Amino acid sequence: MILFVIKRFALAVTTVFVVSVLVFLLVHAGDTTPGVVAVGIGGTQEQIEAYNEQIGWYDPLIVQYLAWLGSALTGDLGTSLTNGSDVLDEILRRFPVTASLAFGATVVSSVLGVVLGVTAAVRRGLADRLVSVFAGMGAAVPAFWLGIVLVFVFAVQSSLLPATGYVRFEDSPSGWFSSLVLPVLTLAIGGAAFIARQTRASMLEALGQEYIRTLRATAMPTWRILYVHALRSASLPIVASIALQFIALFGGSIIVEVLFALPGLGVAVQGAVGQADAPAVQGIVVVATLVVVVVNLLLELTNSFLDPKLRTS
Amino acid sequence: MSDTAAFPTRSSQRASRRPLQAPQALRTLLRSPLGMLGLAWLVVIVVASLTAPLWLPYPIEYQDFSAVLAGPSAAHLLGTDELGRDVLSRIFAAGAGSLITTFLAAVVAIGVALPLALIAAASSARIETIINRVTEIAMSIPALVIIIAVIGAVGTNLYLVMTCLGLLIAGGIYRVFVGQAKSLQSQLYVDAAEVDGLRPAMVSIRHILPNMATTIFVQFVLVFAIGLMLQAGLAFIGFGPQPPEPSWGGLIQSASKQIYVHPWLMVPTGLVLVFTVLGANAVADTLAGGQGAPPSQVALGPEARRRRRELKAAAPVAVESAPEGMLIVKGLTIGVDDGPELVSSVSFEVAPGTVLGVVGESGCGKTLTALSLVGLLPPGVNPREGSIRWGARDLARLDESGLAAIRGREIGFVGQEPMRALDPMFTIGYQLAGAVRRLRGVGKADARAEAASLLGKVGIVDAERVLRSYPHQISGGMAQRVAIALALAGRPKLLIADEPTTALDVTVQAEILSLLRGLVAETGMSMVMVTHDFGVVADICDEVVVMYAGQVIESGTVHDVLGAAEHPYTTALLAADPHAGLGVVGQERLASIPGQVPQPRDWPTGCRFADRCAFAQPQCVVPVPLIARDRGDGGVRCVRVHELQLGRLDDPVPLDAATPVDGGADPTAPTTAAAPARNGKVRS
Amino acid sequence: MTAETLNAADVYAGIGDAPPPVLEIEDLVVRYGRGRAALAAPPAVDRVSLSIQPGETVGLVGESGSGKTTIGRAVLGLERVTSGSIRFNGRDVTNLSAKERRALGGDLRAVFQDPYSSLNPRLTIGSSLAEPLRIAGVTAADAAARAGAMLESVGLPADAAARYPRQFSGGQRQRIAVARALITNPSLVICDEPVSALDLSTQAQVLNLLADLRAERKLSYLFIAHDIGVVGFLAQRVVVLYRGQVMESGPAANVTTAPVHPFTQALTAASPVPRPAEQAARRAAREASGVKTAGNADFAGVGCPFAARCPLATELCRTERPPLRAVGGSLAACHYAEEAAARPIA
Ligand SMILES: Nc1ncnc2c1ncn2[C@@H]1O[C@H](COP(=O)(O)OP(=O)(O)O)[C@@H](O)[C@H]1O
Ligand code: SF4
Ligand code: SF4
Ligand SMILES: [Mg+2]
Repeated sequence: MILFVIKRFALAVTTVFVVSVLVFLLVHAGDTTPGVVAVGIGGTQEQIEAYNEQIGWYDPLIVQYLAWLGSALTGDLGTSLTNGSDVLDEILRRFPVTASLAFGATVVSSVLGVVLGVTAAVRRGLADRLVSVFAGMGAAVPAFWLGIVLVFVFAVQSSLLPATGYVRFEDSPSGWFSSLVLPVLTLAIGGAAFIARQTRASMLEALGQEYIRTLRATAMPTWRILYVHALRSASLPIVASIALQFIALFGGSIIVEVLFALPGLGVAVQGAVGQADAPAVQGIVVVATLVVVVVNLLLELTNSFLDPKLRTS
Repeated sequence: MSDTAAFPTRSSQRASRRPLQAPQALRTLLRSPLGMLGLAWLVVIVVASLTAPLWLPYPIEYQDFSAVLAGPSAAHLLGTDELGRDVLSRIFAAGAGSLITTFLAAVVAIGVALPLALIAAASSARIETIINRVTEIAMSIPALVIIIAVIGAVGTNLYLVMTCLGLLIAGGIYRVFVGQAKSLQSQLYVDAAEVDGLRPAMVSIRHILPNMATTIFVQFVLVFAIGLMLQAGLAFIGFGPQPPEPSWGGLIQSASKQIYVHPWLMVPTGLVLVFTVLGANAVADTLAGGQGAPPSQVALGPEARRRRRELKAAAPVAVESAPEGMLIVKGLTIGVDDGPELVSSVSFEVAPGTVLGVVGESGCGKTLTALSLVGLLPPGVNPREGSIRWGARDLARLDESGLAAIRGREIGFVGQEPMRALDPMFTIGYQLAGAVRRLRGVGKADARAEAASLLGKVGIVDAERVLRSYPHQISGGMAQRVAIALALAGRPKLLIADEPTTALDVTVQAEILSLLRGLVAETGMSMVMVTHDFGVVADICDEVVVMYAGQVIESGTVHDVLGAAEHPYTTALLAADPHAGLGVVGQERLASIPGQVPQPRDWPTGCRFADRCAFAQPQCVVPVPLIARDRGDGGVRCVRVHELQLGRLDDPVPLDAATPVDGGADPTAPTTAAAPARNGKVRS
Repeated sequence: MTAETLNAADVYAGIGDAPPPVLEIEDLVVRYGRGRAALAAPPAVDRVSLSIQPGETVGLVGESGSGKTTIGRAVLGLERVTSGSIRFNGRDVTNLSAKERRALGGDLRAVFQDPYSSLNPRLTIGSSLAEPLRIAGVTAADAAARAGAMLESVGLPADAAARYPRQFSGGQRQRIAVARALITNPSLVICDEPVSALDLSTQAQVLNLLADLRAERKLSYLFIAHDIGVVGFLAQRVVVLYRGQVMESGPAANVTTAPVHPFTQALTAASPVPRPAEQAARRAAREASGVKTAGNADFAGVGCPFAARCPLATELCRTERPPLRAVGGSLAACHYAEEAAARPIA
């Protein structure tokens, strides 16, 4: 078990490292040098080169990467080329927005997905068919399209909720909540569809196992068989699918942030890429990966704890 | 990426291990309306998009200033956009680019994942671990974020972007493939090919790959769906093909700008995208659906309601109650709802303190008969006629709550597969103490103590350690003891055991049989022992019924049936038993029965054994009743029983232990020692 | 343990003019897994030696997990041999590569236990049968003709070649597997539990078929089974395994009717016979013999592996591994085989 935790941890660290190298290389592969961005439209070739020289752009890649890694490990992700702000500060400022969105969507999609999946598996019949229609649609409707439809229905037609924008929790908890409802829903539906399918399949798989017969033979009430034993068996693949879903969700939040004009990391990365703001791109991507990897690690440890075979090894 | 259905999880991996055959897969697809619809839509969209230049009503940049932001009309079937361009034309003009690049993503993902999976499955554990780690890293990278970084570096080159997507998604696809490839690699036909010296690469190509065809196709379609969504999403946030070149995502993005003015514009492109993804998923689902989970062991939803209704509607049949502790089965017929009959008019009795053996080859209905005695038939399979009398109740007509009151408390059940009979997620102590509490209504602490003493009773010495263990931590023999302890938790008066020793080593089987025999003697409970082994019958049973193709074909005391079998099937089966000759050497041939047990749908109306019977005559084609046996109590289902007098042959077993045979080791010795083969009549 | 006492061929095949054995396994050791933990555990196959003469059938019996299948797979080259040697028709075949195995030209073949996984569902019976011939370079037409003939000799219609495995029952598939094994005219066939997945009536059919083909073609079998009754039917010599070690080996008559090793005695006594009165006596004898439960008795790797269950075990048994030595007409690995042989057993 301890060995398992160590191995997973090592893998998580490797993942972040690999991504940081990848992004570093990508940033350097572009044909826009930082100087061009930092100096701006009117800058001369000399000014640009001077800037590049100053930040060490012409150093060997490995030297540059190590320099970046060194300062990143001390919490310095550099400064933005476009507005000179500290990248880490910018990330920290935007993080709550994306975090609220991603975690909100994860919670909503997990709860919704598990409830629907269990209902479909247990009730079969009409409920099952309705859930599978939902799961099919949820998997097929792109988040942005769904978002637009939601905005149209709840904001444009009925003004129940704000169409776009973000209210900070500190400013108004209720405003914060209503500013997040539509984005979270938009992001959560697809995930809920995926988790519902997985839950349904895992429940049915569990209910087909022979030990269910033993439970019936010892007069265990049906509800306990369904909601204690079958669900417990199904919990492993369900948590695994939630972990996978989180990865997709975190990426998907970019689209939702753009759609709802939320000042989160997604919008930032969109902007940074659009403007070739190398330090910002690099910083945000690495931090985003770090978050995904950490959450994933936690879910995986949860799963290994849920699995008696792993726990007792 | 809002759809990750291509990513595997434990159960989808398991399901994918049951590959469909290619023609079978196609048939599955053609039989499902949804799958057909999905396939049809995909074909239409692909063909229409690729041939778009040939039939489009308007050039894509043609602007109709008389109809800006118009709704559907005869001139513009799907309306026009803010520049008066025809939406229909733009959708299909955009289709080719979107579809081809997405196709590329799928090709890359499969093209990377498949060889990796084949290599991992065929190589050593070390190489597999390396590949696994690399793919796990790829799986935990947020793909969209990286792809946006790629776009930042190289611009919106869709071919490159979709190649990246393919690479990033390949990790997930690999997980699906490797599970299946590994299970295929462990198939014995792969071993056989390796013995022949077939090259590893050829083994993969010839024996692994073709069996993965369906899975590959399913994953291909799923990646295609993901790619389509992702591409649209990218275009929406401005990383798509640059306008004016149309793309589906771009169309949606410009439509979203008009949402307050002209919401209709959202509809056509959105729907085309949705339907295409739906279609792809429907095709994948239909193909993968043929590999579904095992049928549920609990009646759920409509099935449960239907059974309840039927029981309520059925006229109450007056059955006289059976004497205390006596089980009386009369004319029991079991069948699949709206399907074939599986067990036909079975009758027997089990007196208190006795053991009844139910013996026969597999598929003869032994298990179903046993399960019906505890009301544990699988959903959709139910008693049709006859009665199972236990006290004042008829178990064939009892509902779930009535059965729950009997299960465990009055009638216990032990199954064939001890390792699968226990819930792997809970400790043995939890499961056993839970059963004790439920069945005896005692408190938590008492239940635990009782659980320990039950384990002692079934011969487990270190009860405390076993109570703390999970099922995977104990051996098969141990697990069967635990299963027996579970069945005994409610102190039942009758124990139904379905092949409880078949999966165990003979030495362990002997121990379990001794244990069961001891329990019967000690507690006075009775038992129904299902088995295919006449040795087990001889060891533990008092009475026996022999089943063939859903019927009882012979019954009587163990002494009569094993010592003087009267039915041609029983005699032949006994003669085929190599254990009959145990302690006897030099036996050159076993008597054997030609052919095999017929499937329920192939049962003839006459004697069901006639096809294989050495004594079959024209008179055997009529339905055969159970006739009183020649000697002793019980019945024989053979019209010629009195005429054949098989039971009166001085020795119905082909070779008796006393026959002097030399221990000849010469394999070429003439095979004359024993009965002529394929002749039910042994020893002339 | 001396080499002399181990060479079963010398003991049984008559001294001197015996033909060279088809198969000679010497001191075979197979370990699963890598790393320190795997090395600490006793190996799956532990210094096993056995030989098979031309035309002879040697039965390999033991409980599940005793190493029977591993030995068969090692001979076939499907499992890496840790140490020891395997000679086939005088040629060293230990750890052969695919290419070297091809060079054997189908002289060494196998029939496996599970009739459902031993045929590729995607290939017709005909192409499954032809595969080994094609690998050996036979033309497609010749291979097809031989496949048809082979199917008939195992009692299936020649047109079965055009059909797929799913169209056949378990017993028929096992006949096909036998046909596939014999199509290259091998001298040795490894049969790994070929009938244990079958019902009694089909089991008898396949056992008879194996016996007939052996007589017809002068085949040798290494016949692996957990069921001593089945082994006793087909084998001339029987080797009994326990936890990877040979406990007893000798003529089938001796081993099945007059075993001298306490484990073999436990094994034969536990196998029930379908005659109630006789079985009652056997059971009583077994219960009186004092064999202890298999339970979870772990074997640390020293002494006699059966010591934890053996009624005769002493301190010597727990500390010193008994050598395989001649006792009566058999070889037995037991310090007290003479005492064991003298006990009344069923
Ligand atoms: N749930 C089921 N649905 C349909 N057919 C079944 C089901 N379970 C068993 N059968 C069929 O019923 C027959 C008898 O099965 P079973 O009772 O398992 O026989 P046995 O225990 O003697 O091997 C077989 O042909 C089997 O395929
Ligand atoms: S009724 Fe006829 S076919 Fe059936 S078992 Fe008797 S003799 Fe054979
Ligand atoms: S060596 Fe000892 S423990 Fe082993 S079988 Fe012989 S008597 Fe029993
Ligand atoms: Mg059965």
